[in-house]
Amino acid sequence: MARHLLGRLGHLLLVLWVVSGLTFVLFRLMPGDPTLNFISPTFSEETRAALLKSFGLDRSIWQQYLSWMGNLLQGELGQSFLQGKKVSVLLAEALPNTVILTLVSLCAAYAFGIVAGAFLAFRRGGVVEAMAIPSALATRAAPEFWLGMLLLAALAFQAGWFPTGGALSPGEQPGTIGAMLISRDYWWHLALPALTLMLYLQGLPLLLMRATMLEVLNDEFIVMARMKGLSRWSIVMRHAARNALLPVVTAFALGLGASMGGNVVVETVFAWPGVGRLLVQAVQSADYPLAQGAFLLIAAVLVTMNSLADLAYAALDPRVAIGMKR
Amino acid sequence: MMNRLAVAVALAGLGTLPANAQTAGDPIRPLVILAQPQAAAPQEYQAAEMVAEAWKSLGLRVTVRPLPGQQFNQIVWFERQRWDTTTWQMVGRAERSDPDELTYNLFVSANIANGYNLVGLNSPAYDKLAQAQREELDLTKRQGLIHEIQEVINQEQPYGFMVHPKNLVAYNKAVWDESSMVDQAGIGIRNFWTWIALKPKGAQKDVILNSVAPPTNLSPFNIPGAQGSWATELVWDRLMRIGPDGLPRPWAAESVTRPTPTIVDVVLKSGMKWHDGKPVTIEDAVFSLEAPGYADKSPMYRPFVGNIEKVETTGPMSLRITLKRPDAAFLVSSLSKLNLAPKHIWAPIFENLKGKPETAESVMEQPVPIGSGPFKFVSVKLTEQIVLEANPDHWAKPSVNRWIMRIAPNIEATLGALKSGEINFLTDYTGDPELLANLPKSSPNIALSSSLDIGFKFIAYNERRPPFNDVAFRRSISAAIDREALAADAFGGAAVPANSWVSPALAFWAAPGIDKKVPGGTLEAAKKMLKDAGYVLVGDRLHYPAGVKETTPVFQ
Repeated sequence: MARHLLGRLGHLLLVLWVVSGLTFVLFRLMPGDPTLNFISPTFSEETRAALLKSFGLDRSIWQQYLSWMGNLLQGELGQSFLQGKKVSVLLAEALPNTVILTLVSLCAAYAFGIVAGAFLAFRRGGVVEAMAIPSALATRAAPEFWLGMLLLAALAFQAGWFPTGGALSPGEQPGTIGAMLISRDYWWHLALPALTLMLYLQGLPLLLMRATMLEVLNDEFIVMARMKGLSRWSIVMRHAARNALLPVVTAFALGLGASMGGNVVVETVFAWPGVGRLLVQAVQSADYPLAQGAFLLIAAVLVTMNSLADLAYAALDPRVAIGMKR
Repeated sequence: MMNRLAVAVALAGLGTLPANAQTAGDPIRPLVILAQPQAAAPQEYQAAEMVAEAWKSLGLRVTVRPLPGQQFNQIVWFERQRWDTTTWQMVGRAERSDPDELTYNLFVSANIANGYNLVGLNSPAYDKLAQAQREELDLTKRQGLIHEIQEVINQEQPYGFMVHPKNLVAYNKAVWDESSMVDQAGIGIRNFWTWIALKPKGAQKDVILNSVAPPTNLSPFNIPGAQGSWATELVWDRLMRIGPDGLPRPWAAESVTRPTPTIVDVVLKSGMKWHDGKPVTIEDAVFSLEAPGYADKSPMYRPFVGNIEKVETTGPMSLRITLKRPDAAFLVSSLSKLNLAPKHIWAPIFENLKGKPETAESVMEQPVPIGSGPFKFVSVKLTEQIVLEANPDHWAKPSVNRWIMRIAPNIEATLGALKSGEINFLTDYTGDPELLANLPKSSPNIALSSSLDIGFKFIAYNERRPPFNDVAFRRSISAAIDREALAADAFGGAAVPANSWVSPALAFWAAPGIDKKVPGGTLEAAKKMLKDAGYVLVGDRLHYPAGVKETTPVFQ
């Protein structure tokens, strides 16, 4: 087991090293550089040279890479070109918002999806299923920005129940994460982006749970359980659902990682101050250190979630755990 | 057999060519108009499409090529041999109330290689006039020079000037007294003077406005883009400010006088304090004028002190600036632009920066920057919001409590926020002007202010690439542009036709009637001008004059 964990950690570090190298190179291959943000009639070649020097972009790409890797090994992500702050500080400010948005919407989506999927598997062939499946597919297929704008129009513009964007009302200070979490204002602002993301995400666990349940319910051990005279509740929850949950758990862990990076659209529509929005702004303005840091963070979450999914598999399915011990 | 057939067909084809084909040069290559993508700049994109259609009717092959922002800027700015034409714009800023900044930088030949003369116009007559207006301190004579220089550009047509846009600002008139809005010439009501004069009608005393894009680092030595400037000009005082009339007036200075063309005497207002409670001294003022010139530590502000020979104190509250050369726009371009920065905070920062590659532009004071202006920082989160509060110790103390700028990229959601009262000023609007114009009808509390901007939108012709090096060709394609249609259709009526970089909003400087003086002025005249210049229409394709070969590659 320990060997397996060490192997996983090594794999994780290798992936992060490759990702960090790729993002470093990719941003520098893109046309333009950060000085293009400052073009004005008084902008001269001397101004540009001074700015490039201050950003460290006057050095060769190898020197820049070695400097970036050296800093990275010391846990230093550099300073944002445009915001004048350390990238780690900016990411630390944005990350809680992204994590909260992702966790709330993903948990709600999976809780709903698992229950609804199991229910639909039991009620296969009914009217409810005939209506629920296309609805789940439609919300899954709908673009996030469209879904978000629809909810904004209905629940914010027309009904006036929710604010149109941001994480807090104008002028309110975010304070600590703890203060944010107990702030009613914060949850009021979170409601619409979380609902959008939840509606978008619930289709996968619902359909997955339903399909797996249908498969599991035909297995011999379920027939055996019935023959033993176990209650229907016990068969569904203790035997069928536990087995059917395996792929859903994997999807949850992967979904958590993917949503961290995939919240870009929802965060932009609702002006939610998370990592995704920071990433978009960094890419648009060629703020290399910030973009690299944000990509690396998203990649780290994604590969960590993959590893956690593996471990969760082992906990839920003893056969996998035995395989690890060999 | 096939080869013989092909030769026969080609020869037969030659026999049927129109007679003028034999006197024509090569066909003009397909031309490209660069533009930002439609999603990023819908009005400019549509305008480019309309211009392309007009040029097609001259016999040109034209396509509009949208490019992502960074790539677009990269090509236009750094690959000047590569492109034919491009859409571009100059935005209105208070310091452009004096025409010098644009007059000097856009077209003088010294800026062809690396500066803002993107089109490569090389006109000795222009250079001479641009320098003359810069050195002419007599206002009436300078006005004459500025009028004359606009006529030079009208004849050269280095740009296809399109429109001067209108500033559209919507606000909640149930919250704010409409009579307290200050309409600044060429800027509109979204300006410094409005923020300090604004009178609340009721309990809501916070100005809440929007910005689509986040500003960059807020520092007295950084130019943080248009939106960031709205905040910095409230926090840092300047010796002078551009008044609502568009002219410079003393602000932190008690008086500013010019005893000779190269001497400027300044008396500092007494009793001023920094937001940390320390007094504003004459040493602070001298430091603020000198610091941008310190060894590449403030590259963006450095050009504004480039003409300063020396600054010396002449009394406890007075200083004298000696210029290297006479500069008519100095009061606007330098004294109304440079922020007063506290020496006790920034001198150690500059000292610490010595020998390091970093500049003062990237330094962010913690926890919040300190100025002496009518507002002070409460909190700054550049991607979320900037919160300022009124400075009770300032001689121009505002009537509002706080000034809050919300940063939200979704403009439709921001429109909804204005209607619901989450914001009470819509100051940054990039959507459909018609939608905004109709807003007061559906929301009676919303008022809309529309005023002509100092800025302008244009299509630049790259004179490095034929046929744009031919003035007759440039005049012809400019004449083919229907500016009235552009203003009405592409810009939704929120613009007026342009034919100069000096906006009619600057009535003193704009050459009277210049927008109607485009040589030729119509599509039909454009066709005749091309014909007169030797360009030949063969079939439906425009060719160079006889003997001229097409050697310039098509933009890829």
